[in-house]
Amino acid sequence: MRDPYLQVSGLTKSYGSVQALGGVSLDVEKGEFVTFLGPSGSGKTTTLMIIAGFENATSGSVRVGGRSLSNIPPHARNIGIVFQNYALFPHKTALQNIMFPLDMRGVPAAEAERKARAMLDLVGLSGYGDRWPKDMSGGQQQRIALARALVFEPSLLLLDEPLGALDKNLREQMQIEIKRIQKSLGVTTIFVTHDQSEAMTMSDRIAVFEKGRIDQIGTPQEVYRTPSTPFVARFIGDSNLLPGTVLDPDQGLVRTEHLGLMRLPSRLAAAAGAPVTLMLRPESIHLAGLAAGVSEDAPNRADISVHTVVPYGDSTLLIGRAGGADLRIRLRGPEADGIGSGAALSVLWPASAIHAIPAV
Amino acid sequence: MKLLPKLLGVLVAAFIAAPLFIVVPMSFSTAPSLEFPPPGYWLGYYAAYFTDERWTQPTINSLIIAFGTMALTMLLVTPATFAVVRHRFFGRGLANLMLTMPMAMPHIVLAIGYYSYLGDLRLTQTHLGVIIAHTALSVPVAFLILSANLKGFDRNLERAAMSLGATPLRTFWHVTLPVLRPGFAISALFAFIQSFDETVVAIFISGRESETLPRKMFESIRMQADPVISVVSTLLFAAVALVILAPVVWKAVRKRPNRDCARGGTPAAKDAAPQDVNPCAPSRVQLEA
Repeated sequence: MRDPYLQVSGLTKSYGSVQALGGVSLDVEKGEFVTFLGPSGSGKTTTLMIIAGFENATSGSVRVGGRSLSNIPPHARNIGIVFQNYALFPHKTALQNIMFPLDMRGVPAAEAERKARAMLDLVGLSGYGDRWPKDMSGGQQQRIALARALVFEPSLLLLDEPLGALDKNLREQMQIEIKRIQKSLGVTTIFVTHDQSEAMTMSDRIAVFEKGRIDQIGTPQEVYRTPSTPFVARFIGDSNLLPGTVLDPDQGLVRTEHLGLMRLPSRLAAAAGAPVTLMLRPESIHLAGLAAGVSEDAPNRADISVHTVVPYGDSTLLIGRAGGADLRIRLRGPEADGIGSGAALSVLWPASAIHAIPAV
Repeated sequence: MKLLPKLLGVLVAAFIAAPLFIVVPMSFSTAPSLEFPPPGYWLGYYAAYFTDERWTQPTINSLIIAFGTMALTMLLVTPATFAVVRHRFFGRGLANLMLTMPMAMPHIVLAIGYYSYLGDLRLTQTHLGVIIAHTALSVPVAFLILSANLKGFDRNLERAAMSLGATPLRTFWHVTLPVLRPGFAISALFAFIQSFDETVVAIFISGRESETLPRKMFESIRMQADPVISVVSTLLFAAVALVILAPVVWKAVRKRPNRDCARGGTPAAKDAAPQDVNPCAPSRVQLEA
C-alpha cells in the first residue's frame, strides 16, 4: 500500500507532569486540506508546532513524503507557515518579505523578484509590493504572509489560526480566498482553528481535538452527522444530547432518560441494557402537523413548553422543557412566527435524524 | 476650559527651558566670570574653549571614555539581556537583580568602592579605570532599555524566518538584529550619555591623566567661575538637541519623495528600472548614469 503524504504517528508531548499531547496520529494525502479543530489547550497548535519543528515531541514521529522529520531543524523542513499575527518582517517591504525565503535559498535576485511578483498577483495585491507591512490592512498583511509562505513551493502549508484577528466579513472573504489559492497550487495544508464554521466551510477533512487527542477525523459531513463522541457533537454545530439505555438493539429501540422511547433508523451495535447517547440536531426537529413525510404515530416525538425564543433572522431557536430536560429546536423562516415564550408545542423528528453515540 | 492646561504646559516648558536663557547668553559674555546679564558680547570664550588644552584634553578624554563605556556596556549587556529575558535558568532572578543593582546605590558610595578597588589594580587615573567604573554604572539602564525592547519582540518573527529557510544565525542577522536596532541604538546612546555626564566617580578616580569634562567643569567652577563653563554647557545642549532632532529632520526629508513612489512602484532592481513607467525610476537611472 502507498504511504500517506504526511504521516503523524503517536505524538505525545509532556511539559513536566502536564501532558499536552496524548498520542496524536493522522494521515494526510497529498493536496488535502485538513483542519485541526478544537478549543484552546486541546493540543492542535502543539501538534502544528511539532510538525513545523519548533517543539520537540516527547515521543512519536512525523514523516513527510516518506522522510522522517525528527532530526531536521525548522529551517531545513521546507514547510510554509502563516501565523495568526502574520509575523511579517516590519523592516522589509511586502515584496522583500515574499522574496525572503528565496533569498535564503540563494535564488538569483531577478528570478526571486519575478516569482515574488507572480505570488503578489496570485493573492491579488499586484500594486502593493513596495508597501510596508504597517501601511497595510490586516487582510492585506495576511495575504502577504500567505504569499511568503507559498513562494518557495513548500511541501506543506501550516496555517495557525490565520483568520483569528480579522473581522467577520473579512474572515469569510479570506476563507474563500485561502481555499482558492490552496486549490490552485494543490499544496497539502493543515489549518488550525477553534471556529467550527471555518472548519466546515474550508476543509476536505476535519480532525477534532480534545484534551491532547484526536476524537474524530472525517469529512465535514461525517463529523457533523455522525459525531463519534458527545464532545464532537457539542463542539460542531448545535445539538441535543439525550442519555439513554439500549432496549432492543435489533429493533433499534432506546429508552431515553427524559423523552421516553426512541426508534433509530437501523439496528444498534450494542447489547441490550448498554448506556448510549443519542444526538438530535435542533434543525431536524419539526412542529407536529407541519413535517411532511414524517410519520405522526412514530415514537420519536415530544411535547414541550417553550421558555426561550432566540430569533436569528433566517431561523429561530426555541428552547423548551420536555420530560425534565431542555430541548433545542431550530425552525426555518416563518415556521416560528407567533410562537412566544410559554407556548406549548408538539414536536417530532424522523428516525433518520437520530445518531447514536456509543458510551465510551 | 482648555486654556488652563495649555497655560500650565507653557509654564512648565518655560521653567525647564529657563536655565538656557541664562546660560546661552552668558557663553557669549565679555565678563571675566559668570555674570548675568552680560555686560557685552563676544566669542572669546568659545575661542578659549577650543584652543586651551586644559579644556580640549578633558573633552577628548570624556569622548574616549564615553565611547569605551558604550562599547563595553553593549558587549556585556547584549548577551546578558538575551539570557535573562529568553531563558529560564537557576539564579535568573539574582542575575536580574544584580544587573539593575548599581542604579539603587548612591554614586558617592560606589565611587569610594571603585577608588580603593581600582587603586589596588593600579587602574585609577587611567582611561580604562574610568571606563570600567562607568560601565558598571551604565549597565543597569542599558539592560533595562534593551530588555524592555526584547520582551516586546515578537518571537513569531524568528519562527517565521526559520520556517522560510533561515538558519538561526541568519535569522538573528536578517530579522532579530534589524528589528531590535532602535532598542540597541537607544540603549547604547544612554550608556554613552551616562558616562559623558558622570561627575562623582570621575572626580574620585579620573585624576590628571584621564580628567573628564564634568570633572574639569566642577573644578573650574570651584576655583574661578570660568565663563568657559557656560560655553561647554551651551555646546552640550546643542549636541543633545542635534542628536534628538536629526532623526526627525531626516525622516521628514526622506518621506516626501518616498510617498509618491510607494504606490505601484518597483524596488531597486536594476534591470527592471529602465522599461518601467515609474515616476521614481528616472531619477534612479540618472543617479546611475
